[in-house]
Amino acid sequence: MNRPIRIALTKGRLEKDTVGLLEKLGFDCTAVREKGRKLILPVPDGNLEVVLAKANDVITYVEHGVCDMGVVGKDTIMEMQGKFFELVDLGFGRCKFALATKKGYDFYSGYGIKTIATKYPNVARSFFEKKGMDTEIIKIEGSVELAPLLELADGIVDIVETGTTLKENGLEVIEDVAPISARLIVNTVSLKMRQEEIEGLIKKIEENL
Amino acid sequence: MRNYDLITPEGTKDLLFGECIVRRDIERTLMELFKSRGYSEVITPGLEFYDVFNLNSRYFHQENLYKLTDSKGRLLVMRPDSTMPIARVVATRLRDAILPLKLCYAQTVYRTEPALKGRSDEIVQTGIELIGSQMKIADLEVISTAADSLTATGMEFSIELGHIGIFKELVSRLDATPSEKEQIRKLIENKNYPALNDVLDTFGESHVTTALKKLPSLFGGAEVFDKAEELMPDENIKLLLDELRDIYADASGLCGDAGSITVDLGLVNKTDYYTGLIIKGYLSGHGEEVVSGGRYDKLISEFGYDIPAVGFAVNVNAICKAVEKGGILPAMPSPDVIVYAEEGYEADAIRAAKELREQGFVVENALFDDIDSVRDYAKEKKIAKVIVIDGDSKEAEI
Repeated sequence: MNRPIRIALTKGRLEKDTVGLLEKLGFDCTAVREKGRKLILPVPDGNLEVVLAKANDVITYVEHGVCDMGVVGKDTIMEMQGKFFELVDLGFGRCKFALATKKGYDFYSGYGIKTIATKYPNVARSFFEKKGMDTEIIKIEGSVELAPLLELADGIVDIVETGTTLKENGLEVIEDVAPISARLIVNTVSLKMRQEEIEGLIKKIEENL
Repeated sequence: MRNYDLITPEGTKDLLFGECIVRRDIERTLMELFKSRGYSEVITPGLEFYDVFNLNSRYFHQENLYKLTDSKGRLLVMRPDSTMPIARVVATRLRDAILPLKLCYAQTVYRTEPALKGRSDEIVQTGIELIGSQMKIADLEVISTAADSLTATGMEFSIELGHIGIFKELVSRLDATPSEKEQIRKLIENKNYPALNDVLDTFGESHVTTALKKLPSLFGGAEVFDKAEELMPDENIKLLLDELRDIYADASGLCGDAGSITVDLGLVNKTDYYTGLIIKGYLSGHGEEVVSGGRYDKLISEFGYDIPAVGFAVNVNAICKAVEKGGILPAMPSPDVIVYAEEGYEADAIRAAKELREQGFVVENALFDDIDSVRDYAKEKKIAKVIVIDGDSKEAEI
């Protein structure tokens, strides 16, 4: 007998939205809601197993095929890349990548190389590469907004939801980089070896978005 | 400065005992299978000139190659693939050989993989190349050999077929720049339906865009061909589809009980030099493909010899991993006998051990001072018999 289909969820908001979606499809997610400290949780009536992981790890587990499917933000996919099928735009977890600077700063003026602070160096690099702009990219782990305020960077590339944090720190979005939302990803072999089960589930999901 | 003298480089590892047995068994089984079909082995150098892999079509990205220079400063790479070196050999030393050529190989390829991803930079591949035939039976022979290779693993498997020509023809009918075409290819490869639809919508609605939108969803069994048929915009593409349908129908009966055969029209990998049929193989429960191949009718002509070919490679590491996951590693084999020499009888003991080996036993010479240590060692290593050579017994019997 095959093991249940394993779906890795990004802990936090995407996890809650996905569990809501699964419940809408009629799955009993009690175990997931009352998870305690457990990380692998059964969904009894669906031959489904939920795995809770950090966003980057969702991609890693799906790439290796130890999880068949995953729910992860487009932000993580853009930064990490990897080999998997990106089948469905789930529509929730909507926000965007944007380039922001100190209010009133003329980012594109002058010929000096601009410094960009970001948690997403690959996203930032490819954005400026497409413009043919050579930039210096500095990876920041915490609040990226600090970097321009401390004058370490000319601008930041970061996730923007409402823009409140930017506003409160005297920053503003000067350009959108890419829209973001939650995606359903599937391991390349799982989709083929368990096509019927996975396609069935995806069809149900698409009908309930 | 830090010394790295106790570890192996990222993406490499030592194999010990049982791991070696598994790996050599698989290699041997597959090579015997290939040879029983009339394939002859070739071994190409581990080092090649970079130029071999830097043809016009640039199948390999330079960032994925291990590079070094020779004594004249010329750029070399550690072989990242066996098919291209074999194409080089065919176009040079085997140019006058009678066709078809049937070649097989078992050798390591090197590619840099992203760090800390649990991937191997050093992969053993065994495979075949069938050169000089464009006949359907050549394709079928290669597919059935791939299926037999996976049958030999004893695991449930699936062979998947595709046809890169269908995508190439479709996209060539689109008024798109090369970089737009590449973007479309990538979205089809990743089955990224939402983004693919967005991009294709910018080209307006036509038979071609509708077909391209559907391409990644056209995978599964025989029903795929019926769905695809009505989508194909013209007779030329329908012809390619019929070619694949024909092969699929015949190949379905060649997979044995443990395997199934499926089709995916969305197989459009970039690094491929394939021109027509594409072959992939999967093992149940293993997250990555274990067989990869197809028809490459234009590759050898890039080396100056215009001749069609088809082949595949098996990722032996992946099969080892699947085998080891499924069960325990074979135990380290124990010798049958250990021969202990009393002081002064060392030469006699070595002679005695040799005689026993000639009778077919696996025999070790004991390298200890006293018989008790030999007994302890034999017990630990599960050696059934200890023979003592002293003045009385210069010849051993079992």
